[in-house]
Amino acid sequence: MKITTNVFGPETTLKKEVFLELESPTLREVLGILAGQHGAAWKRILKEDLSLEKGCVILVNGRNVSSLQDLETIVHDGDEITFTVLMAGG
Amino acid sequence: MKGICGRLLEVDLTTGTTKDMAISQDLFQKYLGGRGLGARLLYDLLPAKTDPLSPENVMLFMTGPLTGSHVTGSSKFVVVTKSPLTNGWCDSYSSGRISVELKKVGYDGMVIRGKSNHPCYLRLDGSRVEIRDAGWIWGKDSFETERMIKENEKDPSIGVSSIGPAGERLCRFACINSDLYRQAGRGGVGAVMGSKNLKAIVIRGEKGLEPFDRKMIVELNRKNYQRAQSSQVAQARMKYGTSLTLNITHVGGILPTKNFQYGTWEKALEKIDSVGVYKSNRGHKSCISCFIHCSLVTEAADGKYKGASIEGPEYETLAMFGSNHLIDDLPTIIQANILCDKLGMDTIDAGNVIGFIMECFERGLISTSETGGLDIRFGDPEASLAALEMIAYRKGFGDILAEGVRAVSEHIGKGSDRFAMHVKGMGFPGYEPRGAFGSGLSYAVSPRGACHRRAWPPAKEILGNYPPYTVEGKAEMVKGLYDENCVLHSLLVCDMPAKFIPLSLDDYSQYFRAVTGETVSRDDFLAVANRIETLIRMFNNREGFTREDDTLPYRTLHEPLLDGPAKGQCIGEENLHRMINEYYELRGWDASGIPREETLKRYQL
Repeated sequence: MKITTNVFGPETTLKKEVFLELESPTLREVLGILAGQHGAAWKRILKEDLSLEKGCVILVNGRNVSSLQDLETIVHDGDEITFTVLMAGG
Repeated sequence: MKGICGRLLEVDLTTGTTKDMAISQDLFQKYLGGRGLGARLLYDLLPAKTDPLSPENVMLFMTGPLTGSHVTGSSKFVVVTKSPLTNGWCDSYSSGRISVELKKVGYDGMVIRGKSNHPCYLRLDGSRVEIRDAGWIWGKDSFETERMIKENEKDPSIGVSSIGPAGERLCRFACINSDLYRQAGRGGVGAVMGSKNLKAIVIRGEKGLEPFDRKMIVELNRKNYQRAQSSQVAQARMKYGTSLTLNITHVGGILPTKNFQYGTWEKALEKIDSVGVYKSNRGHKSCISCFIHCSLVTEAADGKYKGASIEGPEYETLAMFGSNHLIDDLPTIIQANILCDKLGMDTIDAGNVIGFIMECFERGLISTSETGGLDIRFGDPEASLAALEMIAYRKGFGDILAEGVRAVSEHIGKGSDRFAMHVKGMGFPGYEPRGAFGSGLSYAVSPRGACHRRAWPPAKEILGNYPPYTVEGKAEMVKGLYDENCVLHSLLVCDMPAKFIPLSLDDYSQYFRAVTGETVSRDDFLAVANRIETLIRMFNNREGFTREDDTLPYRTLHEPLLDGPAKGQCIGEENLHRMINEYYELRGWDASGIPREETLKRYQL
């Protein structure tokens, strides 16, 4: 399956495509794999134990996972996962 | 109570006279300053049903108790008046040197009424107050006006706030410019100034007020600066400014696209978002008295507008002139921003009304025979920019567009009101409510019209853990956001550092103590916010507003969003009414939106 990842923070990266040898995994499983593949920008958002750094959240298809099933949220082929700081205002 | 002067400057432009108006300490304690004190004064000073563009309308330039104190984000002022765009309550905020200088001169604010029989400007220099002839700057754009005044004064750091040609011609979304790139943008406050023949306000003070505990202010600033340095949110904001918000609204499906038909726009990415704007960044700036440099100076790198430079564009401009017009060319947006600032117009309402006309063209509701030959289509940058000039100078069809999106839809008719995206006449800012229902409630009940400054629901519905497409808990959520911002806008500090350092009301309680010597708790602040919001409701009720005005456009209520995570969503009448009912109840207002007797008693109104 293919997913897309974004990181919005002091370092911003957009639309990185990631191919996973999984079928309908949980977000926890996906993060476990991504942990070894991403650079410093991503690591500023997520800690080694997959908990979030202060002021950061994960969105799956534009929804904060805490309003879904948190790390047990099922990730599907084509989904977009965004790691972002809690921006405010425009 | 330290931090306040205890008086306002009252100016009557009809008679050319000025005098002092004493403000009791009790009023500051009940309303703080800024929005709150402005609400009390406007309610008391403005006769009901006054024409906003008549000499009888009152303009209040208000500071707050923290203004001029070196508390971070405290160089702001608010213009409180009756809006020519909505015919109701208006509070329009801006950073600007005049706020600090006004306090140095010894005033907490100014009350301006009447109409000069010739173009004039108000000049305060130390204890000297003058109303001077402005014939030599009338007709000049805002940038040129400020440059000429500073040159004339031989003082590049004097405070100058002015209007451009749009304000002179009473465009109903004309703004007031300060320090070149800062605007009191919303609600048409520039037109009110223009209606009084008041071109500019020029202020030079001498010595600031002595705060209660200067050392404590320095210590709090130092501590909060360190917090900002370790906050990823603050670091991201200082690097990208508000442009990063576009990436979030796109991902969340609430990016206004093609006059709010869609909620995402892939073509915006890396062109007019954080990545695109950062590539054109030529430096960062901060407002006076703020250690957060969240403003980006950008320069068009290529194309027709190569070299054009501005402080901005902010997210609202990127959304309203970018995705909302299907324009993915950053230099064009920079140029649009420059034109709006120079000519003196709100980029949100300007972008909104042009987007509306683009859809009218697409649907065949108007033709070039009605627009003086101008063919305004989605994705056409030249037409978008040409329309701006027409609006500011009220040339041809621009004369109609300058009335704002509600009036334009009434002029065109043919069902165009269904996609005229406004509340109470004020155009939607850059957030699509169908992808975040709380934004819909926030727009609907806002006393100044569709407003993103009273609350910023995406923080809760996209980035927070509130499910976005439901109504449960949204009234309480919106009220909480409103009340917090009401406190900040009455103290009068920028709400941005509060959001991304972040600073809580407890932090501001400490700052308040340091400046004024008064001890006010978070709960005390929130009680004041409740009083202020109910008083503003009373103002609008007196002006004839009813529950019927707390509504949303047909598109938002009934047309399913066409793409993105919120595809298929619309808010619906029933959902909106439920949220409004709950919101009124939380405020202590009856089902018609009229404050109950016990509410008035509770808030001593």
